[in-house]
Amino acid sequence: MNQHTLRITAHNQPTVLERLLQVTRYRGFSVTGMTMFPNDDTDLLDIELSVSSEHSIGHLNHQLAKLFDINDVVITDNSSQQCSA
Amino acid sequence: MVSDKKQTGGSVLFKVMQQHGVEHVFGYPGGAIMPIYDALYDSDIQHFLCRHEQGAAFSAVGYARASGKVGVCLATSGPGATNLITGLADALADSIPVVAITGQVPMVAMGSDAFQEVDIFGLSLACTKHSFQVRDVNDLAETLHQAFTIALEGRQGPVLVDIPKDIQVAEVEYALELANESAKIKSEIPANLGSALALLSQAKSPILYIGGGVGMAKAVPELREFMASTNIPSVATLKGLGAVDPEHEFYLGMLGMHGTKAANIAVQQCDLLIAVGARFDDRVTGKLAEFAPDAKVIHLEIDQAEIGKRRFADAPVLGDLKINLPALTMPLEINQWQQHCAAMKRDFAWDYNHPGKTIFAPAVLKEISDLMPKNTVVTTDVGQHQMWSAQHMSFNDPSNFLTSGSMGTMGFGVPAAIGAQISRSTDTVIAVSGDGSFMMNVQELSTIKRFQLPVKIVLIDNAKLGMVRQWQDIFFDGRLSETDLSDNPDFVMLANAFDIAAKEISKKEQVTQAIEEMLAHDGPYLLQVKIDAADNVWPLVPPNTANHKMMESR
Repeated sequence: MNQHTLRITAHNQPTVLERLLQVTRYRGFSVTGMTMFPNDDTDLLDIELSVSSEHSIGHLNHQLAKLFDINDVVITDNSSQQCSA
Repeated sequence: MVSDKKQTGGSVLFKVMQQHGVEHVFGYPGGAIMPIYDALYDSDIQHFLCRHEQGAAFSAVGYARASGKVGVCLATSGPGATNLITGLADALADSIPVVAITGQVPMVAMGSDAFQEVDIFGLSLACTKHSFQVRDVNDLAETLHQAFTIALEGRQGPVLVDIPKDIQVAEVEYALELANESAKIKSEIPANLGSALALLSQAKSPILYIGGGVGMAKAVPELREFMASTNIPSVATLKGLGAVDPEHEFYLGMLGMHGTKAANIAVQQCDLLIAVGARFDDRVTGKLAEFAPDAKVIHLEIDQAEIGKRRFADAPVLGDLKINLPALTMPLEINQWQQHCAAMKRDFAWDYNHPGKTIFAPAVLKEISDLMPKNTVVTTDVGQHQMWSAQHMSFNDPSNFLTSGSMGTMGFGVPAAIGAQISRSTDTVIAVSGDGSFMMNVQELSTIKRFQLPVKIVLIDNAKLGMVRQWQDIFFDGRLSETDLSDNPDFVMLANAFDIAAKEISKKEQVTQAIEEMLAHDGPYLLQVKIDAADNVWPLVPPNTANHKMMESR
């Protein structure tokens, strides 16, 4: 199992967290940790999501990045890879 | 911006739809969407009452696929909304632009397990591209604009907008304004074509693997120009059928589980696979590890998440096919490979010999294809008749062959044909169905009757769930479990009950005249074609098997 951490910026909309978690589960990743900070100045959410899976993290970050309410996904483990939405 | 007087939320809904060019919607009223239906009463938008919300969703899908526009469906809260789910899942899986509007119980009742309350917003997460729930009437217009934009941008898909009843009746100062560009639209970054051009220039035996993305990108002209210049042999997926000119000398037909022998062998032998708007689906690749084993891959795609998802792309080309396909045009020296493909196409051509008097479905579908007017839209249901249609009918555009590809949804064919007929009223529309699938949305015959839609239905009838029966025979030792439908209703009488002319045929000598009668008939028509229940779809690549190891008979 590979452990990964993603730093995600999302619009603070209803269901953005549900959709994020639904896609994460459906694409075969387990959530091992999650923190979320609403940013009052920008109305954005800063989310740190830790996941484990046998799959490559690349399979998840692009699926998350294309969600309408997600602005930005960065893989923070190893070398940082940014996936702008 | 044009100021307008105060309007209800329901009225704003139809005003925004009109701004997006919506002329026709499909739906079914109910308690929590009554204010919207009241506003419809004053709207110029034409509503088609379906007889089940699933029918409305598939009619919206058929409408979108046949016309290239957004399909729209409406349903009430609770069961009305959940009945849309299968249609939305189908639209998501096949990337079809649909906007679904659901009524919701008033906000004060939400979360109280109210009558006909279901969390459709939550339920929609896994079967839409995006969904909204409107909680302030001042946000309604902007939300609807976004819904239409999201449905069409990038990789297309369905969007649901859930509107509580009090939002539908609330009044708002409505200002007609142009839709805002979506926040998600980004400037197109030119694709890096260097690796792709290098691979192409070195290829000795390249194949174009054409998917549904070509039609969705409206890139059929660009594909055909590219093919006319390069003459690269080609194969197509189920949803890619129609993108390639079916008369193209080096077009080998459909690949995959029920693909042609020539298509599957050529892909296995190629040294360069150029995937164009395709996603390496399991029904296409067979055993993935042995799919096109010697090929490098160029992957032209609009959705970054598809690149490398199932097969490594040596040269990913992300972006609009209309831009990137022409940019790859170059002269190629592949004459020997072209002749090899042409020879396979000739040597492995379909054989329509079928002993006995019983009708051979592939021959019937081939004959319909030869006799039907140009630009006929064919829809199918799911099963043997679907694969026979894909194998033996020819289409000159992807918008002329509408079939539930990824989701494989039985019950798709008739309501999709209704949507197609409404969007293209002067074109012939034929729904090819099977006796199992037909019964799944048979209530939509009533929609055909109500609007006197001249849809032709070809019902391939083996009194079986034929594809499941075929698999039970081949892979489950002939243990035929729950696949017998010999107690089907009298389909001719059933059609007649909806004022639809109908005829049953069961012998080869009846076929030509029956097809001609059907095509010449002015109104709706059902042709029931009885076939031998033992007929199978060949070739068949068994599960988890390389595509060249296809079965060609039992």
